[in-house]
Amino acid sequence: MNYSLFITGSPTSSKACHTALDFAEAVVQNSTHTLSGVFFYEEAVSVANALAMPPRDECNIRDEWMQFAQKHSIPLYVCIAAALRRGELNEAEAKRHEVHHHNLASGFQLEGLGSLLSLTLESDRTVRFK
Amino acid sequence: MSTLIYLSSSPYSSNTIKEALDLALVFGTFEQSISIAITGDALALLIASQTPTVRQGKHLFKLLDGLEFYDIENIYVKQDEIAKLAIETWPGVSPLAQESWLNMLDKYSDIYHF
Repeated sequence: MNYSLFITGSPTSSKACHTALDFAEAVVQNSTHTLSGVFFYEEAVSVANALAMPPRDECNIRDEWMQFAQKHSIPLYVCIAAALRRGELNEAEAKRHEVHHHNLASGFQLEGLGSLLSLTLESDRTVRFK
Repeated sequence: MSTLIYLSSSPYSSNTIKEALDLALVFGTFEQSISIAITGDALALLIASQTPTVRQGKHLFKLLDGLEFYDIENIYVKQDEIAKLAIETWPGVSPLAQESWLNMLDKYSDIYHF
């Protein structure tokens, strides 16, 4: 079965991003399943903030997602409108809004909600984590 | 694919309902079959006399009249809940009795709950 993940829960005030990563790892470890991609929306977009620095002895869920995505070539989409609303910009958006800094972590890409629709259409199941 | 956007959150206590409606409009733009179900705290979205300030958030009631332009024509509410409001609400809803509500949920392949 081909899955996509839709994550909306905050990486700091919920465990949505953590349990979604557990699920994603289980999917790719099972040869009968595939994972098309992951879409972060609402508060979950904060997972892609490169400036978030959890204590060293705690889980860094952003880095864990980055490593997972790189290892398995899974795209990590972050809703562009939700990200901009919450102060997360890539270099192009920083230029467009004429600010000097950008903080979208590498491995994540800003996309519109149309990308969520594309993911959903190409998947047998879209699993939500909130 | 038939998609239901299921709203139960309060419309002005967070960005949740605004972002849920954004999702509905984008899916509608891509010519997907979209319906909306409104229940619980989200029913406040339908109250005609709402006057949110800019600080409280975008005036979401004004978005409702535009839904038909995205071919979003089924806006479901629970019959008993809408009756209890006893206040002027947006008229474009389809009130359903409990059994019809459950049958309605069965019709959709994808449900996004906000």
